[in-house]
Amino acid sequence: MSIIKYILLLPLALISLQVQGSSDTLFRPALRIGLDVGGFARRFVEPEVMMSEVSADVEWRRGFFAAAEFGLLHIDVEKETHRYQARGNFFRLGSDFNILERNPQSKHDVLLLSVRYGFGWMEHEAPFIIISDPFWGDYESLVESEKYRAHWLEAGFGLRTELWNNIFVGWSLRGHLLISRTREAEMEPHFISGFGRTNGSTSLLLHYQIMYRIPLR
Amino acid sequence: MQTTGKFFRRLPSMIRFWVIAGSLLLFFGCAADEVCEEATANNLRLGFYLLGQDDSTWTVIDSLRVFIPGEPKTFLYENLSEVSVLELPLNINADNSAFVIDFFHVKDTLWFNYNRETHFVSVECGFTMFFEITDMTYTTNHIQHISENITYVTNSLDEHYKVYITPAIGID
Repeated sequence: MSIIKYILLLPLALISLQVQGSSDTLFRPALRIGLDVGGFARRFVEPEVMMSEVSADVEWRRGFFAAAEFGLLHIDVEKETHRYQARGNFFRLGSDFNILERNPQSKHDVLLLSVRYGFGWMEHEAPFIIISDPFWGDYESLVESEKYRAHWLEAGFGLRTELWNNIFVGWSLRGHLLISRTREAEMEPHFISGFGRTNGSTSLLLHYQIMYRIPLR
Repeated sequence: MQTTGKFFRRLPSMIRFWVIAGSLLLFFGCAADEVCEEATANNLRLGFYLLGQDDSTWTVIDSLRVFIPGEPKTFLYENLSEVSVLELPLNINADNSAFVIDFFHVKDTLWFNYNRETHFVSVECGFTMFFEITDMTYTTNHIQHISENITYVTNSLDEHYKVYITPAIGID
């Protein structure tokens, strides 16, 4: 639990740094809305998995972003040995902090540290399962549709640059740590909506975003 | 501190490069390279040791064969040589399995009772069976003793039982 404590303390430490260094009176708060195209790119690696998401963040103080993300997961794979289907949604709430000194020529370019809380809910099923053994033959089974929920924390870093006229591109890499999930599920999902591929209670996700910035005043 | 400050001042000019280069590197770095055969292999593993001697190293059995009780002509392994670890596939269609290990001229039978658990490996690889051994018995013709190491049989390469045999069977 000490890791979670430090993740929660990080925003406070960074806010205090921002307050000390906020002498720019020309700062204008801005809303940025975006689309994560990492999910589309991931289809080249795992064509059966579709996870898409939209995001929004508000830079309410220079270098300090409040962020929200919402997305959905869809998996439908049919092979000789199994069929697996999953549908789910998720949201994440958190903050990004720019640790880069602003350059007048590229004043919106940022190097971000990110923290998030995430919640994902999904329904999945395996209408047919065949496990083959060369000696014992085939075992046939199925898992009926069941609901699955998970809560997690994320921390990571990323880069974002203005491509052209308030249009931004950037990527971020975030580690995830499950803090709770549905207990005694008949089938543990391989891919949790919003969390990604499970590896015990951790995962790593790459986000590749295209965003549009709307100055607020 | 001055060097650190200089680094952060130069960073904006590097950002555009790293946004492009980093995303490509990360994308290919995160590519899945799962091997389904390894992920779904889940045999029970027996390691052979000499009774009364150091059990940090295996002993080697010259040769053996394995079949199912009552089916002496249906061999799981017909003539395995130089065996130090024996992999046995548990029956995925029943909650128990039995195996006869024929050390040639002398045989021992092992019985395993277990719970089965269908385990989802991945979207690509599908499902496999994990086992939790609840009970195990054996004859002691040449096997002298079996000690339990791990009772959960998954796709990891654990040694589940240590099988102690008499020195006459093993060769170093």
